Amino acid sequence: MTGDEWHDSFTRILLEQGVDPHEAQRLSEDSRAEAIAARRHPAQLFGPAAAYAVAVARAARPAPLLAPLARAKGPVVLRLTNVTKRFRRREVLRGVDLTLHAGEVAAVTGANGAGKSTLLDICAGTLKATSGVVERAARIGYAPQQHGVAPYLTADEHFRLFGAVHRMGARKAVATGAHLAAGLGWRPRAGVVASQLSGGTQQKLNVVLGELSRPDLILLDEPYQGFDQDSYLDLWAQVYAWRDAGAGVLVVTHLLHDLDKVDHLLELQGAEDR
Amino acid sequence: MLDATRQQWLHGFLDFCLLCLLGERRDYGLGLAQRLAESGFGEIPGGTLYPSLLRLEKQGLVQADWVSSTVGPRRKYYRLTAEGRAAAEERVAVWREFRQAMDRVADRADLAEVETA
Repeated sequence: MTGDEWHDSFTRILLEQGVDPHEAQRLSEDSRAEAIAARRHPAQLFGPAAAYAVAVARAARPAPLLAPLARAKGPVVLRLTNVTKRFRRREVLRGVDLTLHAGEVAAVTGANGAGKSTLLDICAGTLKATSGVVERAARIGYAPQQHGVAPYLTADEHFRLFGAVHRMGARKAVATGAHLAAGLGWRPRAGVVASQLSGGTQQKLNVVLGELSRPDLILLDEPYQGFDQDSYLDLWAQVYAWRDAGAGVLVVTHLLHDLDKVDHLLELQGAEDR
Repeated sequence: MLDATRQQWLHGFLDFCLLCLLGERRDYGLGLAQRLAESGFGEIPGGTLYPSLLRLEKQGLVQADWVSSTVGPRRKYYRLTAEGRAAAEERVAVWREFRQAMDRVADRADLAEVETA
């Protein structure tokens, strides 16, 4: 591989890794100049182009968007009062109380079958509680574990569609969507429809759409599943960025070591047969 | 095995090392690699060194500038920002405390071996 081929391949992989094209250009020129200054072949100085591009892309990833879109702070965005859910005779949730303000993160934990996803569905309004009161903000972003994306639309089409709901212009919706995607280490490619994306990338699309509609309350269901480790960390950074921007965020998770920074911890006890 | 452990540790400490060396004086990439080698860390591959420098730059701890030279090629020089200097000081303090604790624990391993011998 010649030096030029190395640099071409380095630049191409940077772009694939979701690095902004201007930034990729700058990084590529930098590595070229460094190799010249060192009087060494780039492969000798930096190692294989692919591995180096991945390492550089990781280091260059933009800090999560702070205050991406303005929101009001402080009001209650979700209040659950003595919420109970029974499926036939099986009681899944009993007496759940939670008050989540704008600018707070609540984590929901519990064993499999403890009713985490059920609770999220009730918060989103796709499932009705058996008893109790659910009050919440009107504008919600909901990123369920699966579904939620249209298989035959591209990422940009999703951005335009979801942006339009809140009267965002097509160009702004696509630009904002691309920026949010880059924060998760994903660069949507033109012409690729959602069904062609990997599970992890579909989930990233879900997360971007959740933010794009500028919700006061964001509901996430185990969004790290299918994410690689780095994206997972990015996602938590993103959760806190949403919180700092004034959204209330409810995250269903079962990784306990991440929860030292959350404002509310709701531990579900699990199902009971009666 | 030992090499892998060493490499893992160095990975965790490289950012810290760079902050310290840049605290002494500004430098360019190869100069830093050389100073790390002289300090006893062995050869640090560019594929590890440069992403680390880029990360520090993105965090605002380090500022990088291309500097032209009349005798050689232009080089990218790195120096600490005020924020980087504060971070270096803070980490040095944490490290000194950590090192003492580690030494105390490591010293016990020596004693235990003498007793069983």
